[in-house]
Amino acid sequence: MKVDKTLVASVALHVLVIGWGLVSFSTKAFESIPEETLPVDIISSDQLAKVTAGMKTGKKENPKPLVEKIAEAKPVDDAVGKISEKPPVVTDTSPPPVPKVEEKPVEKKPDPPKPVAAAKPKQEPKPIEKKPDPPKIDPIAEALKKEEKKPPKPQARAAPPQPPKPKAERTFDQAKIAALLDKRDPTRAALTGETLNSNASLGLAHGKATDNSATWGSMFKEQVERCWKKPYGGLESQNPEIVFDIKLKRDGTLEGAPIPEGTPATPYLRVYQESALRAIIECQPYNLPAAFFDEWKYFAPVFTERKT
Amino acid sequence: MIDKDGLHRTPFRPSRRQIISGMAALGALSCSGVRHAVAQGGPKRIVVPEGEFTPLPIAIPNFVPGTPSDNDVAVGVTQVITNNLKRSGLFAPIDQAAYIEHITNIDVPPQFANWKTINAQALVTGRMTRQGDGRLKAEFRLWDVATGQQLTGQQYFTSPEYWRRIAHIISDQIYERLTGEKGYFDSRVVFVDESGPAQHRIKRLALMDQDGANVRYLTRGADLVLTPRFSPSTQEITYMEFGQGDPRVYLLNIETGQREIVGNFPGMSFSPRFSPDGQRIVMSLSQGGNSNLYVMDLRSKSTTRLTDTLAIDTSPCYAPDGTRLCFESDRGGKPQIYIMAAAGGPAQRISFGDGTYSTPVWSPRGDYIAFTKQGGGEFSIGIIKPDGSGERILTSGFHNEGPTFAPNGRVLMFFRDPGGNSGASLFTVDISGRNELRVPTPGFASDPAWSPLLS
Repeated sequence: MKVDKTLVASVALHVLVIGWGLVSFSTKAFESIPEETLPVDIISSDQLAKVTAGMKTGKKENPKPLVEKIAEAKPVDDAVGKISEKPPVVTDTSPPPVPKVEEKPVEKKPDPPKPVAAAKPKQEPKPIEKKPDPPKIDPIAEALKKEEKKPPKPQARAAPPQPPKPKAERTFDQAKIAALLDKRDPTRAALTGETLNSNASLGLAHGKATDNSATWGSMFKEQVERCWKKPYGGLESQNPEIVFDIKLKRDGTLEGAPIPEGTPATPYLRVYQESALRAIIECQPYNLPAAFFDEWKYFAPVFTERKT
Repeated sequence: MIDKDGLHRTPFRPSRRQIISGMAALGALSCSGVRHAVAQGGPKRIVVPEGEFTPLPIAIPNFVPGTPSDNDVAVGVTQVITNNLKRSGLFAPIDQAAYIEHITNIDVPPQFANWKTINAQALVTGRMTRQGDGRLKAEFRLWDVATGQQLTGQQYFTSPEYWRRIAHIISDQIYERLTGEKGYFDSRVVFVDESGPAQHRIKRLALMDQDGANVRYLTRGADLVLTPRFSPSTQEITYMEFGQGDPRVYLLNIETGQREIVGNFPGMSFSPRFSPDGQRIVMSLSQGGNSNLYVMDLRSKSTTRLTDTLAIDTSPCYAPDGTRLCFESDRGGKPQIYIMAAAGGPAQRISFGDGTYSTPVWSPRGDYIAFTKQGGGEFSIGIIKPDGSGERILTSGFHNEGPTFAPNGRVLMFFRDPGGNSGASLFTVDISGRNELRVPTPGFASDPAWSPLLS
């Protein structure tokens, strides 16, 4: 009997493939990677904006400048002395000679001899002005008048300084390039400031970029509410608001007794505060995400009926 | 776990999951109530908003008897306190069967862990001891289970027969310390006790503790009695009696049993009420087809007319400070509630709802006026602010009438008649409309009036 070789080959191949599949798929369990649970809290878009503020558009928040060296104390400014020192400061910082030119005529106005001592080009316009006011009328009005009429003056004055300029003109000598090099050893000035701060981070720990309180805050709220027996406040809303400072350990238990902020003003507020305190103590340990321990190790729960 | 330093130094890069959860949150417009505010400099603030009111779980183990013979009174006091707090609706006393610890000595702090286990937030321990001189000594301590602190502790001495009053006083102390409000347990209620068949009802004036205990009858039931009211001193009651002739207003001293007629007016006199200082009585006197309000000085017996209208002005009531009066008048066509100065003058209408309003009573707190409202085939008990706002109906039905405030203004008592051959009974309800409870009375009962606090 003749056996069809192709049939045999086909059967053998099928058996092989199916057999391999049976063995390999059955031994290999379906792996499902356990997903880390993520608490989802429904928040308003306004809250989301708060939480996400600082992610992309946030400014670099670093109130303390990066400082490597504490600066030497600056000389204390003497308020009394400052007044007398003012004029030199003004002259020191006034940059170009042009403003000086403007000041000169003001000073010169009261001096009658100056026109004589002054340079000849100046004489031409000045006598014209000074003739009509031998009695010093109003220096300010005069100054204003002068300024109006001055435009020709600066031109006249600007002309004389220009001639010396060509003398100071630099000539570039390629052969002397080496002389221009700074031969001092390379140095780097330390950043100085009042206090040392070696932290060059973009923001501070409490910056909004790392605010995960939407997550752990709602978890805390959910847990503490289970123990909170809110006292009956009657019909009239007294709008209580009680704040505690609490410190938690890594295991979610209280590090110490919660510290209430402020003392309650009314008996009802006292009872309200006590009820919240009872709830905080009774509900520990709190199951909060360990990743955010730095945020929830110290925070302030606010128990309130106030509506925003 | 992420290294805590790493968490802060690396720039924030939202993971895919965070982005997804953020998008989900954006889509949800409803607010979960969690608000996040960054305090200036201080720790992060997490807002825990208005939780639902829940009755406070409180453990009240039997008081310790000072001597074996004091056991009955110790158990009795415990039961009265438990009942008071439970009926208030603000506390949830825990069943004694659940207790782990047996309190034997109230002078040592209890093992708070045992009470935490059964979820008690407050614990009351106490002791009743008969003294050598025959008096009864009552001590109690109120503990905060969570913090392990004593919130309050008192001791009282009294005659053994007043053990219930001691229990009420202790209840008031606990109530006040845990709610921030004055209590109302050490008070009495005067009411009209009704017995006999519907055709021949015998109506007697009766007095009882607010929880329905210690009922005493003040009249014999020969004449019809109506609208009893306490004086501020709690020693006297005014009421109206239909004798042989016209109805008269009487003044009765509940300690001596002495009674006197308040004035002798022509026509009928109705609805007497004491002023808050107890010096005057305001009432309405009817002449012809209309009735007007009058105030009578109890010392001089001089009477002053307060209203002068052709309408029916009745059911006057004083504000707790005595400066104003509320009353019922049909001068606008239908009976409505009006307010005017205690010395008379122009009146201002405060009720504007459908139906008619009657029997106004001013709360001892001054914040509300309770009334009976008739409309839509029903009688309702409601409250309204003296300025006419905040009206709310607390209960409605076939016949509800005659509200009276507890001394702290938090609870109302009224009577309800289901109709038919049965009679009326007394009920209490919180001014928010919660916790409606029947007050046990020996027979049918109507027209309750709550006394001020006895102590």
